[in-house]
Formats: sequence, structure tokens, C-alpha cells
Amino acid sequence: MALKRHTVHESESSHGIDLAPMLDFVLNLLIFFIIIAVFVKESGLVVSRPTGGPPPPNAEQSLAVQVLENGEVWVEGRVVDPRAVRANVERQFAVSPKSGVLVLADKMAPTGLVVQVVDEIHLGGVYNITFATAE
Amino acid sequence: MAKGMHHSEQNEEHGIDLAPMLDFVLNLLIFFIITTSFIKETGVTVTRPTAVTAEQRERGNLHIAVRENGDIWMDRKQISLRGLRSAIERLHIERPDDTVVIIGDAMAPAGVVAQVMDEVKKGGIKDMALAAAPPSA
Repeated sequence: MALKRHTVHESESSHGIDLAPMLDFVLNLLIFFIIIAVFVKESGLVVSRPTGGPPPPNAEQSLAVQVLENGEVWVEGRVVDPRAVRANVERQFAVSPKSGVLVLADKMAPTGLVVQVVDEIHLGGVYNITFATAE
Repeated sequence: MAKGMHHSEQNEEHGIDLAPMLDFVLNLLIFFIITTSFIKETGVTVTRPTAVTAEQRERGNLHIAVRENGDIWMDRKQISLRGLRSAIERLHIERPDDTVVIIGDAMAPAGVVAQVMDEVKKGGIKDMALAAAPPSA
């Protein structure tokens, strides 16, 4: 009994791998990746940019929303509140569901307002948004 | 002989079994390796506009900031509009899966944001989004 145990113990200590250095290394790696890990995910809105060349055949159907430098928003020749863009877009969407919306912003228009308008257009049900700028 | 046996028994009792801990640590390690995405941050603080319909950009790990005064920041450095395209081209070759999130300050001029979008597109990255924070945050 005693002899048997002794031999088992001896063979274990000679054959077993020493885990300590590996464990140190793995712990270091773990700490490195914990520090590096960034869990911040940006959220955003997808808009497309107009491409050069002739406009597509359905261009005249799309609704144009203008964003001016002074913060005014124009839809079809009228000044509207940024929150009222949604209603206009919904009406347009009801008439022709395939049409997109063109957001035409002044070069110096604030980005925050542009994002707000894009948000309203999304709420109105249109996700096909083209973002262009004008002088 | 009997003494030696006693010694080994004591060892077994006092030593902690490292195997479960090692398994756990390895699992943690693999989790962190997989979730790490090496986001290139902008290095400047920008007031994000809010939007209700903003969606999470899972792979948006290349951030470009446009500040209030029109300065463009990427990878903790200020960069010119001209230099942006070559920088994007280089990064696109290095990691073709990267997508861009353009973080425009709420008061940044829309013209600069539009130019940045054009340069990113010319640099080869077609998938980009305009950053907007959900209203609650």
C-alpha cells in the first residue's frame, strides 16, 4: 500500500508539467486584453453621398429638404420646423414609397441640425437618404 | 517510508488545485481576445448630436471627428482633408473590414462633414455612418 502510493506520487511529479510559468504568462495576456478592450460602440446614421454623373431616372420623385446656415429647414418651398419634417416625409412616403429624400445642407449649416433632420426622415419611414451640400 | 507518505499527503491537502482556475482564466482570455476590436479613437471630445433612430455600428472601428471649428481628427492626430484620403487608403489596405464612423460636432459645418465623407469614399471605404447618440445617453 505504502509502496504503491509512493511510486504513483513520484511518477506524477516527474511526468507532470509545471503549470506555474504558463499560468503567469496567461494571466499577463489576460490583463493586457482586459486593458485594451474597449466596449464603447458608436451608434450612427447611415446616409449616402451623391455620386457624379447624370441623376437616376427617379430623381424628380424624391423630396428635397434644405437645411440653411441660419438653422431654417425648407421643404417644398416652405419653412418648416425640424420636427415637422417627419410629417412631410410621411406624406411623400405614402404617395411614392420607393422615393428617397435628398438632404441639401448649406456648407456652414450645423451638423447637429442635419442629423436631426435625418433622424426625422428616418422616423417618417424613409431610409434612402442622400446628403448633399450647397454653397 | 511512512514519513514520506505523510509528506505527500500533506502536499495534496494544502496545495490549491490550479486546474479549474486555469480553465476559467483561459476562457476569460479567449473572450477578451475575441471581443477586442482595436478601435482607432479620435482623441478629441466632440458633442454628438442626438438621434432616436441611431443604430449601433458593430464594426465601426475607425472614428473620424469633425470639430466645431472644422478641424478633422483621426487616430489621436489632427489631419488635413488632403491627408485624410491617403490615411484612409492605407488603413483600408491594412484592414479591409474596417468601417468608418464620422463624429461631427453638433455645431460643425455640414460642408466639412460632406467633404470628409467624400474623401473616405475615395479612400476606398464605402461603409460609413454619421455618429449620433441615442437621446437617453
